[in-house]
Amino acid sequence: MHASTATRTVARDLLDTLADSGFTLATGVPCSLLSGAFAILENPGDEDSRVLRYVPAPREDSAIGVASGAVVAGERAVVLMQNSGLGYSLNVLTSFNLIYDVPVLLIVSWRGHGGTDAVEHDVIGRELLRLLDVFALPHTILDHADPSGSVREAVRLMDERQCCSVLVVREGI
Amino acid sequence: MSELMLSEPTLSELTLSAVALRVLELHPDACIVSTCGYTSRELFNAADRPGNFYLVGSMGMAAPIALGIALARPDRKVIAIDGDGSLLMNLGVLPMAAAAGADLLHVVVDNGMHESTGGQATARRSDFVALALAAGYRGAERVETAAQLRGARLVPDRGPTGPTGPTLLHAITGPRTEGIGKRVEHTPPQLVERVRDSLGPRVAVPA
Repeated sequence: MHASTATRTVARDLLDTLADSGFTLATGVPCSLLSGAFAILENPGDEDSRVLRYVPAPREDSAIGVASGAVVAGERAVVLMQNSGLGYSLNVLTSFNLIYDVPVLLIVSWRGHGGTDAVEHDVIGRELLRLLDVFALPHTILDHADPSGSVREAVRLMDERQCCSVLVVREGI
Repeated sequence: MSELMLSEPTLSELTLSAVALRVLELHPDACIVSTCGYTSRELFNAADRPGNFYLVGSMGMAAPIALGIALARPDRKVIAIDGDGSLLMNLGVLPMAAAAGADLLHVVVDNGMHESTGGQATARRSDFVALALAAGYRGAERVETAAQLRGARLVPDRGPTGPTGPTLLHAITGPRTEGIGKRVEHTPPQLVERVRDSLGPRVAVPA
């Protein structure tokens, strides 16, 4: 599946806004809904190569670990994942990020949104926002008409609360 | 090919404290990230210092967090102190760290058990030297005696033009013979603040 030019632009705007907001490290585990963003991270053009270092991770909690280390060292870091990866991430989020007050930006795709996706996404898709609320993780839904504004809002929530903030992506970028 | 003959937890000359103190002797300015449970607690009691970043939870995350610090701060020596249980929980960190190419020293203190929870056996006594090398680590070595620990190169620092990448020290220890000592007294946010201060401003290093 190839991302269209339009959806590539959403991914590009999103990553450019992160770079402009001082983010220096991106890591995560791919999702088809985020394939445009991963394509840019894997093969940055000259204009992007200056900023976001990409570290592929084998699992979402390890991605949060790497990003957290960079934040402890004074950088800003983002983790991209499918919502299924939040399950793996709950331990590091609850016993590291939420008690050490180490904020990482999470970009989480919403498979199973609307209940019409493949069956393995039904439960986590139905409960995604409730799960985030249980752990008081602020979340922002990506507005495809204004990806830059959505990223800035998610980063603002992260900075204001010094807490992991989640940008939820419902449609492919 | 190295071969690990140990199958049961055994008495060993080495302790986590001895390994940590030797590492600190060679790298006194290092930033150390230690895994949860008795590992962080013993390091705290043996050699507390601002450059120590103790994890109190998130088992399996010591090496990823150390990797993140190492990537952000190539001018600093960064060391992860893992246990056999915590590394077995997250072996995926080995290829991730190798691919990322940071100059991380990954120390695995292997007592063959989950000692913090009562000494239950870990899944299998494993050859972490072979696992690390197979995953792409730049170097790895095992020590089982005090003499071997003293002689360990603790992994050569790369030369000005040498290859980068993580290296692993597999230290065989045994069940502890003394009490564990007090818990880490700093709060988690205090630990973040002091390790960040200890890292100081970034210094440019040759690419």
